[in-house]
Amino acid sequence: MDASDLAALGGELSIWELFWQAGWVVKLVMIGLLAASIWCWAIIIDKAMAYARARRALDRFEETFWSGQSLEELYRTLAERKTTGMGSIFVSAMREWKKSFEKGARSPIALQTRIDKAMDLALTREMERLEARLGFLASIGSSAPFIGLFGTVVGIMTSFQAIAGSKSTNLAVVAPGIAEALLATAMGLLAAIPAVIAYNKLSSDAAKLGSRMEGFADEFSAILSRQIDEKVLQKAA
Amino acid sequence: MKTGLTVSTLLHGALLGFGLIALSAPAALEVADVEAFPVDIVPVESITQIQQGNREAPVAERAAPTPTERPHTVPDARNAGENDVDLETNSNAEASRREVRTAALPESQPTPKPATPGEQVREQPKPAPTPATEVTPEPQPRQEVTPEPVEEAAVAENPEAEAIKLPENAPSPQARPQPPQAQTAKAPERRNAEEPANAPAEKPKASDTEFDLASVDNVLRNLEDAAGGGGARSSEQAALGGERTTTGEKLTQSEMDALRQQLNDCWLRPAGMSDEDLRTSVRFSLDQSGRLAGPPRIEATSGNRQFDESALRAVWKCDQAGLRVPSDRYEAWAEVLVTFDPEML
Repeated sequence: MDASDLAALGGELSIWELFWQAGWVVKLVMIGLLAASIWCWAIIIDKAMAYARARRALDRFEETFWSGQSLEELYRTLAERKTTGMGSIFVSAMREWKKSFEKGARSPIALQTRIDKAMDLALTREMERLEARLGFLASIGSSAPFIGLFGTVVGIMTSFQAIAGSKSTNLAVVAPGIAEALLATAMGLLAAIPAVIAYNKLSSDAAKLGSRMEGFADEFSAILSRQIDEKVLQKAA
Repeated sequence: MKTGLTVSTLLHGALLGFGLIALSAPAALEVADVEAFPVDIVPVESITQIQQGNREAPVAERAAPTPTERPHTVPDARNAGENDVDLETNSNAEASRREVRTAALPESQPTPKPATPGEQVREQPKPAPTPATEVTPEPQPRQEVTPEPVEEAAVAENPEAEAIKLPENAPSPQARPQPPQAQTAKAPERRNAEEPANAPAEKPKASDTEFDLASVDNVLRNLEDAAGGGGARSSEQAALGGERTTTGEKLTQSEMDALRQQLNDCWLRPAGMSDEDLRTSVRFSLDQSGRLAGPPRIEATSGNRQFDESALRAVWKCDQAGLRVPSDRYEAWAEVLVTFDPEML
């Protein structure tokens, strides 16, 4: 076996050659896994950036909220633009408050309930937005290894059929088919491992952001409740 | 989402590109070339069933000894050679002759009883059985040469077989009911070849069984000749083979082992004798169905009667259970000689 033979043999075992030698089922599995991996990473990058943005927005909002600025003023500035996170919770609560008082609602208990519901709704919508597409990461993380394994099994099956056809058990006959089949498992793991890790990280981040927003909603609800009581007392006086 | 997708696609493209370059050609595993050599599986029969021929001659389909020029003088000669007398030993090899003890011979030869001389002969520990039939029937009357009571008794028993088979039955007429044994003409030659100088006690047997002038001459002169030489002529092209021919119907080593194993399973060793150096040879004949054709006989006694009888009992017991023998080769196990040795068996 001289150098050119060795080079030819090596060429046959490169990843590209392995891919092209594989059967169409294995090819399909590998293409699907590659697409899933690309989509997973897109989600990971997108979410990481979105969470960082959301965290910064929360910080900024809390800063301005507790800065002593009047709530009316804050509402006026925020209502004009598109808000996210705590801002949208604040805006929805303030909108309900304003509507109730401008239209002359009298029942403070019903007002409190309405404001809470509006904030719950806003919070749920925000959480939905934060956790969107995390499910895809979870399902890829759990199913990609099996998809890869499926490709491997099919590849090894066809490989063994080829061995039976060639009537030779030489390792040189067996090895390329098994290598190309194992490539499918490798790709499945390649897609699944980052997906699982990122899912765990991102979902805990989302839960943290959600609890922060929930805390803010409770706090704001308490503040509004105090305001309602004060207004009722003023009216009574 | 767009940025994420773009970045992700770019990353994957980069990773694939890196993989194509870095993982493109894994280094071939260097394996030292091992030269395969062919192995033939040769059955042991090809070694144990040698035909008579010439050791230096090329292989031919049928082995034959070196062609000879001198005319055939001995019509029924069995041993290849150019002698006028068919000898198993080479009478020309004067240099290798050895003088054997002279005093013992005359005493052992005239054995008085007709039955005992055969038994006495049988009890000697010989490695190979010596069937009595290899001698060609000769026209001379036996009584003239060795007037022993054994021959007379044999002649009296079957006078009709006198002309052809008389010498066969001479040594032990009643204890040998096996005609197939007549085909194994190998043993006496081997005995002479392997033990050129036997004890004088074996001499009477030779004179009993082999009735020709040469052996009588040897006996009379108390001389034992070296191996080689015979009267048979060969006109065929010399071909590869051994000095002696074999019938080819011998139990192979594995078959022999299987038989030994069966006997060993049947054998109850007498208590307290396993450490002693006792061994006994038992000869027994089997019929076509593998059953005992006659009672087993002690061929070479161990000196311990109890031990000998335990060996005989083993044969009987195995016969009761049924000996398993290759049914298609009756010739090979028609007569069996087994040595019972506590260590070997």
